[in-house]
Amino acid sequence: MFDALHTPDNVLIVGGSSEIGLEIAKQLARRGSSKFLLAGRSLEEMQGAARQISQVSEQAAASVSVIHYDVLAEGATESLLAAAKAELETIDMAVIAVGALGNQATDEKDPAAAERIIAVNFSKLAPAVLAIANQMAAQGFGHLVVLSSVAGVRVRRSNFIYGSAKAGMDGFATALADAMIPSGVKVTVVRPGFVATKMTTHLPPAPLSTTASRVAADTLRAADRGKVTVWVPPLMAVVATVYRHLPRVIARRIPF
Amino acid sequence: MVANLVELNGTPASPEIFVRPGTIARGLGRAYGDAAQIGGGRVVTQPDDVSSSTLQGGVLSAGGGVSLDSILSSYVPRGWFVPVTPGTRYVSVGGAIAADIHGKNHHLEGTFTNHVESFDLLTPAGEKRVSRDGDPDLFWATAGGMGLTGVITRASFKMIPVESAYMKVETRRLENLDELMATMVGSDHKFRYSVAWIDCLARGRSMGRSVLTRGDHARLADLGGTLAGDPLHYQARPVASAPPWLPGGLLNTTSVRLFNEMWFRKAPRLREGEIQKIPTFFHPLDGVAGWNRIYGPRGFLQYQFVLPDGEEEALRRILEQIASAQVPSFLAVLKRFGDANPGLLSFPRPGWTLALDIPVGSPRLFGLLERLDRQVLEASGRLYLAKDSRAKAETIAAMYPRLGELAAIKAKVDPEGLIKSDLSRRLGIL
Repeated sequence: MFDALHTPDNVLIVGGSSEIGLEIAKQLARRGSSKFLLAGRSLEEMQGAARQISQVSEQAAASVSVIHYDVLAEGATESLLAAAKAELETIDMAVIAVGALGNQATDEKDPAAAERIIAVNFSKLAPAVLAIANQMAAQGFGHLVVLSSVAGVRVRRSNFIYGSAKAGMDGFATALADAMIPSGVKVTVVRPGFVATKMTTHLPPAPLSTTASRVAADTLRAADRGKVTVWVPPLMAVVATVYRHLPRVIARRIPF
Repeated sequence: MVANLVELNGTPASPEIFVRPGTIARGLGRAYGDAAQIGGGRVVTQPDDVSSSTLQGGVLSAGGGVSLDSILSSYVPRGWFVPVTPGTRYVSVGGAIAADIHGKNHHLEGTFTNHVESFDLLTPAGEKRVSRDGDPDLFWATAGGMGLTGVITRASFKMIPVESAYMKVETRRLENLDELMATMVGSDHKFRYSVAWIDCLARGRSMGRSVLTRGDHARLADLGGTLAGDPLHYQARPVASAPPWLPGGLLNTTSVRLFNEMWFRKAPRLREGEIQKIPTFFHPLDGVAGWNRIYGPRGFLQYQFVLPDGEEEALRRILEQIASAQVPSFLAVLKRFGDANPGLLSFPRPGWTLALDIPVGSPRLFGLLERLDRQVLEASGRLYLAKDSRAKAETIAAMYPRLGELAAIKAKVDPEGLIKSDLSRRLGIL
């Protein structure tokens, strides 16, 4: 349930070792969210994250549990939803922070690797998001936060496997927001630019790069206000709009 | 949040209306928090049908959905007034009992339920008449019980006779908190109704500067020529309306400071014997339909607490923090409470109650209210559940130590736990 300031009680973080997911969880714990379920592939990393989340508030330590979840595994989402029901009772907020960047240069030559990136970022993830949304619709409330990316706004030569999958997920999630209006479920789609996290340590920072804690703060502020899309940093909205309308001959020559 | 809305249309109310995952009654939906909501569950409403009410020997029997607005319109012209009215007349009889509402006369006459003789309660175990003497446990669990013991379908309560539809009012301007508290302690008992508006933005020496209005129903002899000709003429209708397209941010520190300055300056130092209409005295905000829209799309929350007598210093500290946080609250009222009643979750207890409207928006609001919660608790005070929309379960449990008794009584009439609200889920009540 949410309080008047839109702080959820029970929070599901899918992609439980994501740094942005962890930052969102910590900021929610600071505001008073009391129960978290982290779902992801690395139990070890999630246990570290769980410790950090439960230590955020001294007065009332949040209870955090972890569950193994691989979006590519058969039946994974069904068991996730069952676990969420058991651990959280209601999923008040779900943060979808699942993603894999892949390696464009080698994945281009290996269609099976490309398929995996597209599955993790879109073709397997979208049905999982739908299942969570439907469970929220059945309980009559809920807020889905889906991490998209500026990479999906205009798919670029340098990153088109990841970018096209993110484009698909972005379109899916923003339209899901419209579809969910009668059910009482809200959807917020976050489009960060380059975020300095472990997913990007091997890359040179791009212009307008931001941090996980900034993304988390802006995301929660947008969610509080019931916004469907949020750009981080906000200037990215302008940059992305310009970029989307650049003539192809220019766009394909931009190095990042 | 989506719930399935069901109107109880009189005959016959059946326990089958209670369904999973939860069912809760709603009166006029004016509680500021989540008391009459249940996301994914069922909300039960009742018609505002005053024609089915009867008045016998000064005791009114009315349906649970009947509003004080309708009761006043029907009975003031016949010389009867409700025993307790809050700052709005848009509350239902059922809601008045469930929230155990108080009004400007609490210091002398207690809460609404103090005047209730019995009510009919629909529960999953069936419908039964619950009287103050016959079933005191269920009666006092329901008084202030936020609807968690069932749906109040009808209630009988004592009305008060009045000679006119007018109030005789004394207005006093006080320069600071000390003056205000001394005046209220010294002479509130001489007035049936009393409440003070406080400027929460004033700091330093003028912290707590306020306008205190006190009064009683005007007697025939108090009225001048024209009014005396038709002393029971009562008409209450919104005179203005706030449009739905108002943007957020209209109420900020600057605009509220201006409003507060004006409000304070326009009040007389002392004016006695002024004749006011009932709506002007009791329900000024009801004059503007949709007044809440001035808070814009993000809305506002209410924060109301009571501190026992002797905790004046804690009240002063809390006011100081509100003033220095510059929370733009243009509706802040202070009132003295009289004796508490046996209601397990009834809010009022002897002392001071402060109620604030606060626009949602400032990121500092979370922290401020959490800090205030702790100080209220340390000073043996508590928050008003009908206003609350954000407190934590453990805070409320510490403020209302008799929650466990409520749970035991509720379990008898609702063994399967079908009566629930978003408030009860948020606060882990049952």
